[in-house]
Amino acid sequence: MPPRNHTLANTNVIVDRTNNTIVLTREFTASRELVFEAWTQPEHVARWWDASGNRLKSCEIDLRPGGAFRFVHQGSPEIPPFAGTYRTIAPPGELVFDAMGSIGKVLLQDIDGTTLMTVSIACASAAHLDQFLQMGVDEGTSQTLDNLVAYLGGLKR
Amino acid sequence: MEIDGTDSLTLVFGALADPTRRAILARLTLGDADVSELMKPFNLTQPTISKHLTVLEKAGLVTRGRDAQRRPRKLVATALKDVADWVEPFRRQWESRFDNLDSHLSSMKKKEK
Repeated sequence: MPPRNHTLANTNVIVDRTNNTIVLTREFTASRELVFEAWTQPEHVARWWDASGNRLKSCEIDLRPGGAFRFVHQGSPEIPPFAGTYRTIAPPGELVFDAMGSIGKVLLQDIDGTTLMTVSIACASAAHLDQFLQMGVDEGTSQTLDNLVAYLGGLKR
Repeated sequence: MEIDGTDSLTLVFGALADPTRRAILARLTLGDADVSELMKPFNLTQPTISKHLTVLEKAGLVTRGRDAQRRPRKLVATALKDVADWVEPFRRQWESRFDNLDSHLSSMKKKEK
């Protein structure tokens, strides 16, 4: 993969220890309708969900409250499928689901034609929250002061 | 980060949960400051600032300088680095995922046209 410049972080993470919730925010230059579609149509989810850039091996979505979804990664049996059940489907602004013992909520706000996406992951306990955060640790590398400043910038918002 | 570091991390996250304390930390990244210097930008009373500083000190995020008269507070960069190390890989994973989403949205837009 070509090196990407991550000095300016596009994705902010806030860890809310009081409510055991992780909140991720990101802006997209696309309409809410399009972003909602990308989250809820299997042919689209399959193209972006895997952080490594691979297409999903399979992606099943039963888009209705109580309906199940299952995202299966390619090749790596050690990565468990991301599976759960939909709670709320309210296009183009809100999608709520249960997955891996937590409640995921995707909120899409229109800001002059661009979309502010807020993904919150509400965990059942502090231990569960730590478990969630640790899932990305294997990809971790060394930390620079620049990243730290960017992180503090994220906290301030 | 070892698992047994979680307890001290809990203190750190508790300290970071308050916006005023985060603002104090952000101010201390620019240089040491004593209580009166911290009072001014935040428009807070001396006891309030001291209360926040106590929380930050207990979490190991801030220490007191040597100057006994001024007692300037100093940022403990390593403690913050622990927090950033903890969260950063998680953030990066989601960033990759959302980068993928971003480029996929562009291709969706092209098809719509």
